[in-house]
Amino acid sequence: MKFVRILVVELLLSWHSCALAAEGTPTHGSNESSVRHELAQAILSQGRQQQTLLTELADSGSKVASDVLNAWTRDGVYLYSAPDGSKIPVLLEEAQDAEGKSRALRVDTGQYLQGPGGKDLRFDQSELTTADTDMRLRSAIQQTLDSLELAAVDPASRWSAAMKLGNSQKPRYIPTLEARLGKEKDRSVRKALREGVALLQLGNTDLQVQITAVRQLEQLKAIGSLDNLRAVLAKPGCPPQLAVATKQAIHSIDEHIRWVNFFGTIFHGLSLGSVLLVVALGLAITFGLMGIINMAHGEMIAVGAYACYVVQNLFGTGFGFSITLPFSFAGRALSFGMHLPGLNATGALYESYFLFALPLSFISAALAGLFIERTVIRFLYRRPLESLLATWGISLVMQQCFRMVFGANNVQVNSPLWLLGHFSVNDVSFGYNRVFVIGFAAVIVVATWLLLTRTPLGLLIRAVMQNRAMASCLGVRTSRINMLTFAFGSGLAGLAGAFLSQIGNVGPSLGQTYIVDSFMTVVLGGVGSIAGTVWSALGIGTSDQVLQQTTGSPVTGKIVVLVAIIVFLQWKPGGLFSTRGRTLD
Amino acid sequence: MRRTTGRTAKWGLLTAAVFVVMVVPLLNMYAPQGSFLRISDFSINLYGKYLCYAILAISVDMLWGYTGLLSLGQALFFALGGYMMGMHLMRMIGDLGQYHQPIPDFLVFLGWHNLPMFWRPFGSFPFALLMVFVMPGSLALAFGFLAFRSRIRGVYFAILTQALTYAACLLFFRNSLLMGGNNGFTDFKFLLGRDLRAPATQRLLYIATALALVLTFAGCQWLTRTKFGLVQQAIRDREDRVLFSGYAAAYYKLFVFVVCALIAAVGGMLYVPQVGIINPSEMSPEKSLEAVVWVAVGGRGTLIGPVLGAIGVNALKSWTTRAFPDMWLLILGTLFVLVTVLMPKGLVGLPGQLRALRRRFGPKLTPAPLPPPEPQEQFVKTK
Amino acid sequence: MKKYLVSLLLGALALAAVPLSRADTIKVGVLHSLSGTMAISETSLRDSLLFAFDEINKAGGIKVGDKTYMIEPVIVDGASNWPLFAEKAKQLLEEDKVAVVFGCWTSVSRKSVLPVFEKDNGLLFYPVQYEGEELSKDIFYTAEAVNQQATPAVDYLLAQGKKKFYLIGTDYVYPQTTNLILYKYLLLHGISLENIGGGLRKDDSGKVISAGKYTPFGHTDYQQIVAEIKQFAASGDACVINTINGDSNVPFFKEVAAAGLTPADCPVVSFSLAEDELRALPTKDLVGELGCWTYFMSLNTPENKSFLHRWNTWLKTEDHPGVVKEKRAMDSPMVLSYDGVYLWKEAVEKAGTFDVDKVRDTLESGEVSFDGPGGKITVNKNHHATKNVYIGETRANGQFKIVKSFDQVPGEPFLLKGLDEKVAAMNK
Repeated sequence: MKFVRILVVELLLSWHSCALAAEGTPTHGSNESSVRHELAQAILSQGRQQQTLLTELADSGSKVASDVLNAWTRDGVYLYSAPDGSKIPVLLEEAQDAEGKSRALRVDTGQYLQGPGGKDLRFDQSELTTADTDMRLRSAIQQTLDSLELAAVDPASRWSAAMKLGNSQKPRYIPTLEARLGKEKDRSVRKALREGVALLQLGNTDLQVQITAVRQLEQLKAIGSLDNLRAVLAKPGCPPQLAVATKQAIHSIDEHIRWVNFFGTIFHGLSLGSVLLVVALGLAITFGLMGIINMAHGEMIAVGAYACYVVQNLFGTGFGFSITLPFSFAGRALSFGMHLPGLNATGALYESYFLFALPLSFISAALAGLFIERTVIRFLYRRPLESLLATWGISLVMQQCFRMVFGANNVQVNSPLWLLGHFSVNDVSFGYNRVFVIGFAAVIVVATWLLLTRTPLGLLIRAVMQNRAMASCLGVRTSRINMLTFAFGSGLAGLAGAFLSQIGNVGPSLGQTYIVDSFMTVVLGGVGSIAGTVWSALGIGTSDQVLQQTTGSPVTGKIVVLVAIIVFLQWKPGGLFSTRGRTLD
Repeated sequence: MRRTTGRTAKWGLLTAAVFVVMVVPLLNMYAPQGSFLRISDFSINLYGKYLCYAILAISVDMLWGYTGLLSLGQALFFALGGYMMGMHLMRMIGDLGQYHQPIPDFLVFLGWHNLPMFWRPFGSFPFALLMVFVMPGSLALAFGFLAFRSRIRGVYFAILTQALTYAACLLFFRNSLLMGGNNGFTDFKFLLGRDLRAPATQRLLYIATALALVLTFAGCQWLTRTKFGLVQQAIRDREDRVLFSGYAAAYYKLFVFVVCALIAAVGGMLYVPQVGIINPSEMSPEKSLEAVVWVAVGGRGTLIGPVLGAIGVNALKSWTTRAFPDMWLLILGTLFVLVTVLMPKGLVGLPGQLRALRRRFGPKLTPAPLPPPEPQEQFVKTK
Repeated sequence: MKKYLVSLLLGALALAAVPLSRADTIKVGVLHSLSGTMAISETSLRDSLLFAFDEINKAGGIKVGDKTYMIEPVIVDGASNWPLFAEKAKQLLEEDKVAVVFGCWTSVSRKSVLPVFEKDNGLLFYPVQYEGEELSKDIFYTAEAVNQQATPAVDYLLAQGKKKFYLIGTDYVYPQTTNLILYKYLLLHGISLENIGGGLRKDDSGKVISAGKYTPFGHTDYQQIVAEIKQFAASGDACVINTINGDSNVPFFKEVAAAGLTPADCPVVSFSLAEDELRALPTKDLVGELGCWTYFMSLNTPENKSFLHRWNTWLKTEDHPGVVKEKRAMDSPMVLSYDGVYLWKEAVEKAGTFDVDKVRDTLESGEVSFDGPGGKITVNKNHHATKNVYIGETRANGQFKIVKSFDQVPGEPFLLKGLDEKVAAMNK
């Protein structure tokens, strides 16, 4: 009986896909109500019935279905228990009212959930139970989504859907994929579709079909098929013809992987180099130009990152902290704290928090730098080696302050949606955040360079840094310029922090992670040379990644780079771009 | 503590030496339990640790205070000395480890059955002792030779030594180096046939450390007063003039660098059996920085300064981590800032500073003598 | 020179001065890193210990014979500095003469204090998941042993039909040992060598001595490793076993999220990532990654609900310096710290004395247990505990949804040897 039912489902499926092929683009709207109904049922049902409903939904091609299913996997579907005991699946609207509550959209009708008086009901997330998903269900949903995606507007989604279906090892998808292939115009998606079909055909029992599939895979250079090809080889009784073809395919795909890794490594190197550059640029000012061995540079980065965290919270639910001191007064522990209310923003406004955080992280770090310069650093311009000790003390104090205000744990900084995700060119994937850092680094380097060389302030900065006494004689207010330069360098560090919050952790010891690398970058580039810092950052980044790729171990790469830098500086003690002076040095 | 202080200083130092080497252990042995004079086993062990730090601090100061070379790599030599000693101590555990195997535990769970070649000779104490000098010494020789030949100095020297330390630290963190990885060496049992945990052994180790400190101190004092020491200080003040006078400054610096590496290694060698653990975080860049801070707090360019600084800062650290576990970084950090800004000569220079203040604000009797010239920094900014 | 003597004397005085203790209080030591790199994880444990102490004191303290004692915590900062850990342990045991110490997180901190505890006959409760292969008479491990965390998680993944396993961790003893155990465990369960990713290292005789990919502490650049995992997982039936230490998890997972490696394609099961660490991760993009612990905050039992309520109330009212009140979470290591205090209290009350030898004997009897927030926890003769094990999937709100639970699993520290024998038998 069960077998018959499955057969019926399979038949229905293939009929559906034929229908899909015939109709061209799936129609929206006309069958929306039935899709919605099915969706609600799928959410409420369990086990096999749920799986069946999901497979049916896969063929609806409906936008609504993919939205709801997407929300489901992200814990965004809630169950409302109606007064009569039945459960109604709902989505919560993004817009919230003053109490943080929002209206609920019924999945089955697409209308707002209404109370007895015809009034829209409003809920807080915690008032509703989430429609649960587990690993199996999610992968089933994922497959449905993939089928839906095959008809998506965005080629990238169609591409990934085709890949996933190809790897599903379920031959029943072959017609679906082929149907799509007939209509597909985008080249990469066509490739993915062909790969998917070939992968599914590998499981065929006909030798000729198999060999064709293997040849196809070889031609497509399909990395994901390597395991399947190896499995074909490993299978006992593999016909010699097939074995030869498969071996050849494996060989040429391996070759392809080598190229992918090569270009991938170059990109990774560029992006790591840009991270180093962003991190070291502030130090190139405070240490390179001013000669302050600024061990608190890392903490300036952390100030920027925490500023980003605070801004994010202010866009969300607000930010507060309280500190209890280990001293008591009149029997009561001394404590103080504050709370800033948040905007409770959602959607595009919330996603844009990062744009506001960038300038704020610059400003807050610059202000912190200003304060430090006025209180400590300005006494140390004549004793640069000792500035190392004072700034180290400052860095200890700042780390502890971070712990007291933000807690010893790392804090959560979410990436805005436009920084998440990636795109691929010929199997080399480029993360948006990584592309962003490369662009970001280029922008701040150019901005810094313009500031230093094309503005009156830049002229004064260079004058004071080259010869304080003479600049002072010529009437330059050196003390003010010192202050501004240090604040500017610190501000750049703050910007770096805002960026690092997108790719790494934000915690009290964030700065310590990068301090040695920053110094190495500046010294290798040549103290006092911004261009040198750029080249050394990119050089270190790329060689680190290349070594990591060739040795297979992240640590070995790092050690070799450090030793190489040490050896290089023996040869060119002034760094890549050494500045020459008249003094015997 | 300039040389003119003469006889009182000499006697003071001698008394201090006697006190540290003999009186403290005696108080630990014979003073009745609970009396005011009693120094507990815990305390004497702690003081032993401080004295090891003091030895390290002297090595930093010989480089920074006397030769003008700020090395952020002294912790590396300290830790290397410690590691060599640690290897011997690991061998002495025998089969008393968790697995009751004749090789160290960490090798067992890395899957080794036999001792790797380079571990074998460390069963002998004289060999380990030799290595305590050979390894750090040859590393310092090689690095110093390269660095001084290409005239790396000032801030470049500081950053390069830091890079060297950092690279070594990363290397030692690797388990595949077969040096214990992150866990390092611990759970030592015997040294020269004595139970390492017995108070008597710890006391002997303390005495050995105190003696080593006194000898290092005396040796360095002697060295700085010879003609060699004068050249050394001349290099600190004006290296170019020293070069013009026909001295091969590079070789002077190389000699001092190697000697200081050896001093640090001795400190590390004595440190490990007293604290009972050595792991790569001992050679992390912060540790070198800490040692520099001790010197700055005590007063650089003197020999007593680093000793005072190392003991003072560490005692303060021991106390605050117990009394103010949440605030001690604030306290220490602020202290470092204040000392650097307000007391450029450290604790040792404080009486002089106070005298100068009194002269300035108090009744003027005699014109104040000119202050001695500031040691000129090596960091020359040019463009 | 005088200054020198004075400073030495002052130092001696400062260290020898033991604060006068009031009558009927009992000192217990808290030895965690409140600064340095490990403060990220360990500070929370200090807080949950303080909570347990306050709770016990409020409920009337510890009853020994016909006297009651109030707990007086002695908190010291190990500062992520291992020699300092040893010094502080010595100070707690020899100077403060505490009855018991709760503390340590990293294996190296435990190893550094172990000789001190053995010499001074102290008692240490250790609450953090660890690699096993150790059994000290002075340490009680309320922590998860490998068979209470790693192997159940792998069982679960195998049952979910995963066929390829990528091992990645931080280069230190816990990941190295755990991965070595898992590597053998996977072989035993029919996973072939080429389906275990991350790389193998062999010794001269060809024996595998290390499995998986390792990054150093504080590593931040996971681009290449994630790219490698993506290629490894291209066939769609792979998963990642993650033993990366706390801090580096954030850049790792941010890279995973950015690379579009979703849990539906390739779930990551992490052993060092609990609710407290999840607070720092972009949880919305990571719904469905796996964790395995002996406690989850989302545990739906009356005990846990009342526990969380008490904890939140305590956070609002307490005035201990350094305890952060905003955005707190509860997780397994914190609960195991808390459980440790109660287990010790139970043992002391049963033994009728604070004497370390007698308390140890009582604990070893196998009769000391406590109904903690995560379920019943019992100390066994082998110094490890029997407790419930849960597998959870991460949710967008930073919580775990429990997908499987194993009742009352006894902790077993020595797994390597048994597995070696089984693998050898299988190969024959």
